[in-house]
Amino acid sequence: MSNSAETSPRFRAAGETLTTLFYLSMLLVIAAILTAAMGFQYLNGEIPCPLCLLQRVAMFGVCFGLIANFRNGYSDRNTGWSMLFALFLLIVSVRQTLLDIYPRPGHAYVGSAVFGIHMPVWSVLIATAILIAFGLKFTILGGDGKRAGRKAAGALGQLAALASIYVIALCAINFVSVVVQCGLDACHTYEYRLLK
Amino acid sequence: MMALIFAVLLLALLFGWAGRGRLAVAAILSCLMLSIGLFLWEVYNPEYGFRMPWIQVELINTPAGACS
Repeated sequence: MSNSAETSPRFRAAGETLTTLFYLSMLLVIAAILTAAMGFQYLNGEIPCPLCLLQRVAMFGVCFGLIANFRNGYSDRNTGWSMLFALFLLIVSVRQTLLDIYPRPGHAYVGSAVFGIHMPVWSVLIATAILIAFGLKFTILGGDGKRAGRKAAGALGQLAALASIYVIALCAINFVSVVVQCGLDACHTYEYRLLK
Repeated sequence: MMALIFAVLLLALLFGWAGRGRLAVAAILSCLMLSIGLFLWEVYNPEYGFRMPWIQVELINTPAGACS
């Protein structure tokens, strides 16, 4: 379904700006969530569990698609990666929620509760929100076929580049942290393996 | 294993940032496969398998003839 207004340059420019704003907002929100998770880890001394780390991997995976859109031009393939990792985040977090939903020896929700909700349950809500956001984006703004290959420009483009560098830096910090926590073996939540 | 996953993930992000599309896709695909493998290994229990018996509800035996 298309009309002449949809193909006009003004309409196309507005669509591109809205698309950039959408991806940038999502990247900034996920970066904020990852920063908060690292804050709990380093300031509160809450060592992340293996499934918690996999949920971080999934969030970085969502960011991968968004960053690829900013750097290499808009493409539905990049968005596809983000949606795949959002689905992976949902699967891991639902399983962890069910794993700890019935407290028993060795199994209980780890870490602090935020507004009474623990991390894996938050992850379920975050993954659902990401998938709903993509659904709304495709419904309202359509796919990126018409914008294929175009990149974010201007002030928004610069902000997107800064946010992308920040997320890559977060991933680098997480990589070092994981090596210190787990070494090259399985991860545990009671100590940093290389610091004992 | 987790360190390897984060290493491959970091590589994917760096390749993506550097505009090396194919390398980035190969790295992120490897990261996803490794993550799925580790997830399945983490949730597998030798006793229960992938089942979750702690959330399984039991069927209450009602006496014959009793109406619900």
